[in-house]
Amino acid sequence: MKTIRPGRLIAKTILALAGFLAVFPLLWTALNALKNNVDIITRVPKVVFTPTLANISYILGRDSVLTGLYNSAVACGAAVLIGIVLGLPAAYAVARYPNRFAGDIQFFVLSLRFLPPVAVAIPLMVIWLQVGLYDTLPALIVTYSLLTISVIMWLAIPAFQGVPKEIEEAAFVDGYGAYSVFWRIALPVAARSLIGAVAFSFVLVWNEFLIALMLSSSNAKTLPIVASELSQQGMNVPWGILNASVVLLSLPPLLFLGVLSGFLNSVFRQKKS
Amino acid sequence: MRRRSSLPVTFLVPTLAILLVLSMVPTLYAIVIALQNRELSAPGYSWVWFSNFADLFSDRRFLNAVWVSVKWEIVTVVATMVVAIGLGVLMFEVAGPRLRNFYCLLFIIPVLLPRVSAAFVWKFAYHPLYGIATYPYRLITGGLIFDPLSKPGSALFAVASVDVWQWGLFFAVIVLKLLETLPPQPIEAARLDHAKRWQIHAYVTLPMLKAPLISLMFVKMIESLRSFDLIYVMTRGGPGVATETLDMYAFSQGFIESGKVSYASAMAVLMMIATVITFTMLWKRVQA
Repeated sequence: MKTIRPGRLIAKTILALAGFLAVFPLLWTALNALKNNVDIITRVPKVVFTPTLANISYILGRDSVLTGLYNSAVACGAAVLIGIVLGLPAAYAVARYPNRFAGDIQFFVLSLRFLPPVAVAIPLMVIWLQVGLYDTLPALIVTYSLLTISVIMWLAIPAFQGVPKEIEEAAFVDGYGAYSVFWRIALPVAARSLIGAVAFSFVLVWNEFLIALMLSSSNAKTLPIVASELSQQGMNVPWGILNASVVLLSLPPLLFLGVLSGFLNSVFRQKKS
Repeated sequence: MRRRSSLPVTFLVPTLAILLVLSMVPTLYAIVIALQNRELSAPGYSWVWFSNFADLFSDRRFLNAVWVSVKWEIVTVVATMVVAIGLGVLMFEVAGPRLRNFYCLLFIIPVLLPRVSAAFVWKFAYHPLYGIATYPYRLITGGLIFDPLSKPGSALFAVASVDVWQWGLFFAVIVLKLLETLPPQPIEAARLDHAKRWQIHAYVTLPMLKAPLISLMFVKMIESLRSFDLIYVMTRGGPGVATETLDMYAFSQGFIESGKVSYASAMAVLMMIATVITFTMLWKRVQA
């Protein structure tokens, strides 16, 4: 057994290093958000400094940032809602009422993910310009719905398949109709996995950049676009402010960390049984 | 028990119809635009049929972008899988249940970040004078400058490292969960035969996980196509055209440099055809 020891030590060191690498850059950014510019632009990184809230209050006081936040929240919220309303029932139908197209439907939904975003964004930009909806939230919401519906559907099919069939059959025997079985049995039983699927689709559209960049010019800019524009002003913008905007942009997806890691666990527990 | 019900029709048809419209309209329209000569600055246009496509093949910047995209795809997919399998196996071997949970939580964080955020975080970190990632180099060499993002040779790898930081760590978690679903008997048997730890994984566990690992690689190949945000924020395709992938070049042709929307769309259509054909074939293979 002695020969294994140094190997284990090396393995543990590598893991610890990877864990450190996973979070340290982000923590450092958060730290920089609390620094004055003189404390950031130093050749030797400063760990001890007098913290300031100036960057954060500057960011939260900017109209462009607040509009971006509002646009992101509305566009992502509405698109996810549409994704839930249209995606969940369709996923249930595929999971529970198998027909000969089920395989094709699943492949079609997945194949939407193959489409290069540029290939979708260019024509959509021309279309929205022609109908006069370019640079508006409705255009963004409709475009994002394609993303949310397909992702929610893709992830919800296995979630519904994981619901024990016996429970649903028992409900049918008790005289429930097909729709109330969906509402009262399948949805609540699969809820945990479904919440994971919905959270995933939210993170996906919140983080989306290319389509938002192409479909907005001033009114409908989402937060990622606003944040990236701050940096285009070069190094004239104090770094602390940029760091603060990165932190603000990153917080909402991180709120779902618990939900999503629980979702991963439930997916793999299903596979085991 | 299930009686005939209207449920599948009412639940499926509207959703599929909407998905079809939302996906086919832009796709077909992309092809239409690619056959015209639209420009952002001028409202008029005429049909030029395939001349945009013909121009592409004599455009050296386009051919460079194809090559950069292929390089990007190979580098990120291979590096992600190596990191994921390496760290996943290490966690499986030396970490107890509580430590595993802790690492899993840490490793999921990078992938949740918006790519714009991840790109900024590392753009700061790679700054030659003030970056935290270049600090060790400055310390060791006594202040020499190392600027990975502005050298043509290293820029692509520097940007790819951010992609691997996000996806490699996340996939390590999935590899660990996959290893945990394996039955313990074959591993025990190999151990009784005095197989070394690495041999057990190389010859027993990883071959048992071949199918899910291939699916994982497939997912990464699709996600690697979405490199635009990282490259846009970190290098804008530069230095020169060293990191100019197809979507970056299409974007700059269509919107930054010349406003040649049709030309950009022709590029996008070629990308679309290539990816749809490749991934459909791969998918059928994975399923078979």
